[in-house]
Amino acid sequence: MSEATYIAARAKLARQKAAAPWLLMLPALIIVLIFFGLPTAYMARMSFNLHEGAKLYTPGFTFEHYANLLSNEVFTTAIWTTVQLSLMASVATVVIGYAFAMLVWLKPARWRLLFVGLALCPLLISEIAIIFGWWMFFPKNGLLSFALMSSGLITEKISLMYTEFAAFVGLVYVTLPFCFFILLSILDGLDKRMLEAGADLGASPLVTFREVLLPLTRSGLLVAFSQSFIWTMGTYATPSALGPDTLWTMGFLIQEQMLGRSNWPSASALSMVLVVGVAVVIIFTRSLSAKRATLHV
Amino acid sequence: MSDASTPLTRRSMEPTVFRVLTLAFTIFIVAYILIPILVTLVMSFNDASQIRFPIKVWSVKWYSDFFGSPQWTEALVNSFIIALGTAVIATTSGILAAWAFERYDFPMKSALYVLIMMPLFMPGVVLGLGVAIAFGGVEIAGYNIYGSRGLVMIAHALWAMPLVFMLMEATFRTIDNRVVEAAQDLGAPPVRTFFEVVIPMVSTGVISSVLFAFVISLNEFVMALFLTDRDTQTLPVLMWLSLRSAGTPRLAVASVILACTGFLCLTLIMLWYIRQLRKVAR
Repeated sequence: MSEATYIAARAKLARQKAAAPWLLMLPALIIVLIFFGLPTAYMARMSFNLHEGAKLYTPGFTFEHYANLLSNEVFTTAIWTTVQLSLMASVATVVIGYAFAMLVWLKPARWRLLFVGLALCPLLISEIAIIFGWWMFFPKNGLLSFALMSSGLITEKISLMYTEFAAFVGLVYVTLPFCFFILLSILDGLDKRMLEAGADLGASPLVTFREVLLPLTRSGLLVAFSQSFIWTMGTYATPSALGPDTLWTMGFLIQEQMLGRSNWPSASALSMVLVVGVAVVIIFTRSLSAKRATLHV
Repeated sequence: MSDASTPLTRRSMEPTVFRVLTLAFTIFIVAYILIPILVTLVMSFNDASQIRFPIKVWSVKWYSDFFGSPQWTEALVNSFIIALGTAVIATTSGILAAWAFERYDFPMKSALYVLIMMPLFMPGVVLGLGVAIAFGGVEIAGYNIYGSRGLVMIAHALWAMPLVFMLMEATFRTIDNRVVEAAQDLGAPPVRTFFEVVIPMVSTGVISSVLFAFVISLNEFVMALFLTDRDTQTLPVLMWLSLRSAGTPRLAVASVILACTGFLCLTLIMLWYIRQLRKVAR
């Protein structure tokens, strides 16, 4: 083999090696760019289009829909309701998820599989099936009312259906497993003997929890919280099916504007706000946990 | 708060209080998670046509009703076809991308990582709306892709693919690189090494990816609501639409079918995992 052909062959091999990762990533990139990037760009453009009459949209350029989000009471209330509900649900999810993860962490190993299986249940079940399950539990003729009646605790049938409480219970149910698994994985990385050390040094369980466990799991808590916050911000089926008619979340409004009113620009503007909101939460969490990591090291 | 001088009585009280609290929480969490599942299971065997407790007569009437209704069985078939498609698309693209991240160095690696993971964090409403707007009137060779099953498969892959990618990236990191290098030293081309050496080593990850992608797609209904029409409607979409009008035990039957499929997938993953463990032990 002459030197020239050898060099050419080497160069070809190097080119192949450089191209290989891009070829491997090609299907994934096509999916992300064409079916996520392109639609997002479309949506951003669509949110500035006009909406006149019965047409889905009229090409044009206006800030009307964004201005609407700030001035129209329907939208401002929805944004405020969504943020409020998401915050409450996320706090509850993190508290319950933390307690649940600690329970599994502290219990002997033979219980573990059982509890992990239990936590997987809400993940494997469709959101619609979960909604329907609670839908049969809360109303007047539902299981809750029946159980309380037969136990003699109440004398009149009660209904918790279409209340904010029902929506709240449903939301926490959907997000709980994510939170649980994030927190359990953090706890699994810790040494259980730390708790004993705390007790040996005379600290009560509460003090040990506050002074030892909480600081060590702070970044996990942050991730779990932002996860459930993002999820509850975007979901619309659970609150709209279980909550009162007045509980209009952003997700519900997007759906309503898109399918109910055929107002594509307005639905797009709402979506863009949601996308930016999610991005901000992710970046915020990342920067906070990064700062913490550097502080500790 | 408490120090070495804490009275003995308080110290001995603490474990009891703690145990009672633990027990109470355990009961609460088990009940909380199981309530909607058990209610649905019980209701699916109700004979009456209304959702009402107590249940007076038991029967499997609604199961035969479900399988006798063309609308509901068609929706079930649609769901399965779309879920299979999603599983294939998401697993293939996710595994290949994860392999690229594991084996090669290339520019903008971390930016590409974020890009691939991003759709996973986006609400279904937003993804569904975006795809619907972008591909609303698009026709390819006279075939309207809006409302087609293929579009729903890809939309579902937006969630399933990053998950597969994440899972397989972690799995690939566990394999012994020396084995891969040995295969290459013995003259196996990269493609052959990948299929005959690497994939068998990560089979549990691959099986889990396929089944997780399948279950995600099977259960998803917000994107499907935006992207399907009457002919391609999936089961969760049909459930959602009929829940809005009136709930019957037929919905409970549909829920049970979906849930059983999900649990079956989980069992398969577990069985495969145990099989692999045995293989290693032998």
